[in-house]
Amino acid sequence: MTSQRSFPMTWLVARREILQRGRTRVFAITTLILMVAVALGVALPAILSSGGKTQHVGIVGADTATLSGIVAEAGRLSGETAVAVPLPNLAAAEAALRSGLVSAVLVENTEVLVEQVPVSGTSGSLGTLSQLAGLSKLIQEVPGAAAAVGHGVALPVRGLEAPSKSLASRLTGLFTIVIVWVLISVYGSQIALGIGEEKSSRVVEVLLSTVRPIQLMVGKVLGIGLLALTQAAAMVAVFIVAGFASGSSLVHGETLGIVLIGGVFIVLGYAFYCTAFAAAGSLVSRQSDVNSTVLPVQLPLIVTYALSYTVIYANSANTFYHVLGFLPPTAPIAMPVLYAAGDVPLWQVVVAAAATAAGTVWMARVATRIYTASILRTGPRISFRQALRNAQA
Amino acid sequence: MAPLELEFDGLRRTYGTVKALDGLSFGVPAGQVFGFLGPNGAGKTTAMRALFGVTALEAGEIRWRSKPVDEAARRTFGYMPEDRGLYPAMALFDQVDYFARLHGMTASEADSAARHWIGRLGLAGRGRTRIDTLSHGNQQRAQLAVALVHKPELLVLDEPFSGLDPAGIDDMSAILAERAAAGVTVLFSSHQLDLVENICDAVAIIYQGRLVTSGTVAELRRGDQPRLAVRVGGDREAAWAEQVRGIGTIESVRPDGTAVISLTSSGDSQRVLDLARAAGPVEHFAFEDRSLSDVFREATGASVSQAEAEHAQRAMAGGR
Repeated sequence: MTSQRSFPMTWLVARREILQRGRTRVFAITTLILMVAVALGVALPAILSSGGKTQHVGIVGADTATLSGIVAEAGRLSGETAVAVPLPNLAAAEAALRSGLVSAVLVENTEVLVEQVPVSGTSGSLGTLSQLAGLSKLIQEVPGAAAAVGHGVALPVRGLEAPSKSLASRLTGLFTIVIVWVLISVYGSQIALGIGEEKSSRVVEVLLSTVRPIQLMVGKVLGIGLLALTQAAAMVAVFIVAGFASGSSLVHGETLGIVLIGGVFIVLGYAFYCTAFAAAGSLVSRQSDVNSTVLPVQLPLIVTYALSYTVIYANSANTFYHVLGFLPPTAPIAMPVLYAAGDVPLWQVVVAAAATAAGTVWMARVATRIYTASILRTGPRISFRQALRNAQA
Repeated sequence: MAPLELEFDGLRRTYGTVKALDGLSFGVPAGQVFGFLGPNGAGKTTAMRALFGVTALEAGEIRWRSKPVDEAARRTFGYMPEDRGLYPAMALFDQVDYFARLHGMTASEADSAARHWIGRLGLAGRGRTRIDTLSHGNQQRAQLAVALVHKPELLVLDEPFSGLDPAGIDDMSAILAERAAAGVTVLFSSHQLDLVENICDAVAIIYQGRLVTSGTVAELRRGDQPRLAVRVGGDREAAWAEQVRGIGTIESVRPDGTAVISLTSSGDSQRVLDLARAAGPVEHFAFEDRSLSDVFREATGASVSQAEAEHAQRAMAGGR
């Protein structure tokens, strides 16, 4: 009878958390704000960069009339206005590209030059330009080739700089870990505060007269976790919808993978930290003391989050950060960043996820012991060391 | 005497150097209002918490209907702890409903039971109110509703009368009596021994973690040695009473000349009356019951307030 009732009890506790927290105006408003923020973050760069703008395209070559014609036509086909800027030679073309005077240079019958080949490939006006110029070359060089243009012969697009795999991908990585970090800290603190409230209001004694401590703890982290997951799912959905709707480069294959890996690590990270936050909450008798016991739990997250900025804007991560990617407390933030920056292959991500999952089991055991030993102790704040000693006794 | 339904058997629990429970044993008969009495610090709360498994015991056993108390049994108990506590931000109805569900009621049972008790305790119309915006008295009622909502077979209340005004005490007593009449076994603790002597059918009095005495209130107040209060007109010093030596002892002489005599046997009361009549006009002659605090003092040699002062001193010195 007891074991049969164990899940319903845990679920009743989880259900209370969901109903009490999910119904509040704060939850609705924060969800809305986060969704709008994500939508703006994804769609704004795409909206700002496209449409209505006049593109300046440099031309290098003798036949300026034909080249200007190709540029104008390419602009028309891709719904933009393209203006040809004649340039004397390749050196001048490169200088113009670097200074931003022109966004691309068409070198007669040779190639299309850009400062950096976009991660999303040569689509849009740039693609059209290379296609048209290639076609023009074909028609001039091969008599009767006009009939064979269906092959779609495009001039090569060359970047002046090595295609950094992924500014877009790195930015997606950053976006992902901001969500991981925000969700774990916000909901983790809610767990700790909620448990602090149960202790300080003394309702815990009434609860524990029918519910086992483990059921109370698991129910709480489950309920709050489901709310966090709902919010995360809503944000990812907005990310994908807004990304596709605005044609943002953030939702192309590679970056979508980063978001999915981020999703896995949100779940793993929450699972790892939720019990630790519960243990932290069980140490206090007054809610105002919660901040001080929660800080040591948050510390690995804070440090990794801060270090992530150095990885995102650097060529490759240092060894220390690589190690963080495989440690359960830091992997949920470090691994998505390493993957987004192209510093680790997928199999390493899988290893890190497995390590985090194993760490989660260990953390749950330790945290449950601390929680069970501390939840009914009133009086001054208990230190983690004292709590562990109590748990062993 | 009704059969024992709840039995505390040899409970032991130490906090540091303080023996909170020192081999405490007593039984609670079915369907009665049973008072669990003793000065503050006697171990009442520890014993009640042990009953609900929120304090571990070093030794001893608590049995409900002859079987050790387990989780299934506890779900049929209602509990109002000394440290009252409910979720401050949760609405009254949701809260009562939640505890009904935790005790195994279905959603619809919990719904109607919560409605019933909120109304019965005079909180109708407050169902949507947050607990922390209710008045102190209404928070107490909410706490009682939580303890009662799942139709418990055993109701356990730790100091239910503390902090109540006289009207609140009458309300609470009426509810306890009503529950007992409905077949519920009611166990409540109090350190105000005399306040509750008219409320309980039977009591257990404890001190320093041990049982001092237990029995029906009537038995305890009568005691082994019945007490007579006798006043003879014109004799302010009760000099006549010197003659009762041999059949009883003079406990005290009140300022109005009433002699309080404890008899060796109740059959001797008529001989005392004869002696008094011979001394003068008898103005007052009656059996007098002891108060429960007298019972406590006689058994322990200390008054309830002395015992509490000692406990407070020990707690201050030992830091618990």
